[in-house]
Amino acid sequence: MKAQITASFLLFGFAFFLVGESRENHDSLPSNLRLNGDSITKILGENKEEILQTSVGVFRNDKLIAQGIIVDSAGYILSKASSSVGARTIRTLEDQSFPIRIRKRDERTDLALWQVMGPPKSWETVQWADLNQSTELGMWSASAGADLDKIKLGVISANPRVILREGGVMGVLLEDLNISTTGIPITEVLPHSSGDRAGLKIKDRILKVDGRKIKSTGQINQLMQEKDPGDLLTLRINRKGKEMDIRITLGHRSVGFDLFNRNLMMSGPVSKRRDHFPFVIQNDLPLEKEMMGGGLFNLQGRCIGINIARVDRVTNYTLPYPIIAPVLNTWLKGLR
Amino acid sequence: MRVHLCSFIWLLLLSFLPSFATKPAKAEILPWSSAPLNSISDLETIQSRIQNSFLKVKKSVVSVEAEDGAGSGVVVSPEGLILTAAHVIGQSGREMKVIFEDGSEAQAVSLGGSEISDAGMLKLINTVPEFYVPIAKSSKSEVGDWCFALGHPNGFDQERGLVLRVGRVIRKKEETMQTDCRLLGGDSGGPLFSMDGEVIGIHSRISQDPEANFHTTIESFHSNWDYFVNEELHTFQSMQSGGFLGVYCEESSDGLLVLEVVPGTPAEKAGLLSGDLLTHLDGNLLDTREKLTILVSSQNPGSKVVLDYSRQSREVSVRLELSERNSLE
Repeated sequence: MKAQITASFLLFGFAFFLVGESRENHDSLPSNLRLNGDSITKILGENKEEILQTSVGVFRNDKLIAQGIIVDSAGYILSKASSSVGARTIRTLEDQSFPIRIRKRDERTDLALWQVMGPPKSWETVQWADLNQSTELGMWSASAGADLDKIKLGVISANPRVILREGGVMGVLLEDLNISTTGIPITEVLPHSSGDRAGLKIKDRILKVDGRKIKSTGQINQLMQEKDPGDLLTLRINRKGKEMDIRITLGHRSVGFDLFNRNLMMSGPVSKRRDHFPFVIQNDLPLEKEMMGGGLFNLQGRCIGINIARVDRVTNYTLPYPIIAPVLNTWLKGLR
Repeated sequence: MRVHLCSFIWLLLLSFLPSFATKPAKAEILPWSSAPLNSISDLETIQSRIQNSFLKVKKSVVSVEAEDGAGSGVVVSPEGLILTAAHVIGQSGREMKVIFEDGSEAQAVSLGGSEISDAGMLKLINTVPEFYVPIAKSSKSEVGDWCFALGHPNGFDQERGLVLRVGRVIRKKEETMQTDCRLLGGDSGGPLFSMDGEVIGIHSRISQDPEANFHTTIESFHSNWDYFVNEELHTFQSMQSGGFLGVYCEESSDGLLVLEVVPGTPAEKAGLLSGDLLTHLDGNLLDTREKLTILVSSQNPGSKVVLDYSRQSREVSVRLELSERNSLE
């Protein structure tokens, strides 16, 4: 009798727990059932394994800085050039690290090709989608998560298009001079801008940019137009009669000139270079900036492009395979 | 032995009480468990339904240009009514520019809305809309439904076009619902669609968690439709000087369930008790909590209203005088 009661008590406790659970559930969809929940992403099955198997994390000093995909069985990795600068190692799904070295870099597409060093090994390579694979709006697409332990799911979310160059900015205002032999004076340094971070001060006079002598304000503006956010410049300035060199990493227009850009603040870290691409498709996947350089795949596990910029919390740009193919094929032909 | 048995029964009684009080016992199937996804082709079905609906609805979605920023909206009637967010229109009677997906522009004027739910309305001026979308009936969308969001995050961009986001309804309660569709500033006021292309919500607020954003429910629009079309924007500011009743309630399928009656208020004087189900105010159906608030606070303190409620299945009607909101500390 006693045993029986204890048993009922336990059962009841369990039932009560279930009632509590189901009421909780009634208010809110359990996380495993949400768009990026396990129950949804597991549907990809073997295709998911293939995506993770051919994706790698790209590291600099043990810090994840980008993703890449394995594009050749000899151990060639394709990634985003401006994110993978200074990379030392890659890490695979099996949590193995390998040293890498840079082999090729393309300014136009912001792609870089890295080679795994060490004993020869046959690498499983990414399966590319057909060159004429359509990437129409609303199409499901997937990428590897940051630790290669999960798949992130989303859709192609806007029109494919060219992304024009916005130009880099220093985040300083200059006196407008048509001709000057004593440099161009800075009249204002926007707080938190790249000029501020580089240590530029009001009344500093810019004498040279990357060794080129500056004679007018227009000349500086012209130079900035040809640079991208993230580019490193050396300025020769005159501060209170003393000449010195200042190194500055150019910032993004929206940060420099709309300091309280709420959207950017709500978005968290975004890619430094997120403009000036020959052609992109847009997706809404929940990716972090350290996941750029990784692949974007269709549900069949075929790679349709490389994620090339995290722009804000609803936008990633992906270079589609037809843009990548000619660059990559030329590189691989030259190296084999 | 007796002691054991006793405590068992007590626990049983106590534990069952709350579930009886909040939800009538019924064998319920959780909405999201009715059609679980099993295969890639299930995902592809969702994709093609959303793609089809997208083509049907995209010409009805607009960017709304305000003085201090840009939002989104959606045309829902042949007369040119546009659903948007209260914080996009800001106030009633304001002229605003809207931009259609193809870049064509039109003028609109803001009508009413409510800051409680963040529902807002606009109407096209001198423009007969070529396209408009259907809106879902009340209670049609539920937690677990797949849905898609459209809007103009960061403002209008013709090259980029409308931005599509796909997700599921993850919460829905009173005048607010949440989805894991990713949103950003500029999306505010844009439509949330069912997979069949009916408006089920309007984008309201983005949350710190990028995968749990807030939308005004379409139920809020249905419930207050005439007020939103004909009256002002109902603001928290305007509520302060309006009439006051003094109840906290929660929506249920049979009416507004009173959770608490505030002492010293007209509600207490009229004899309302927690557990009562409020059904009508001056003959207006109380289908949302927001509607009660709007009906009460859009009257002046001192106004007399007739409140219908049911107590233990008995219908009661009471006449009471609204007080000032600040009559209590």
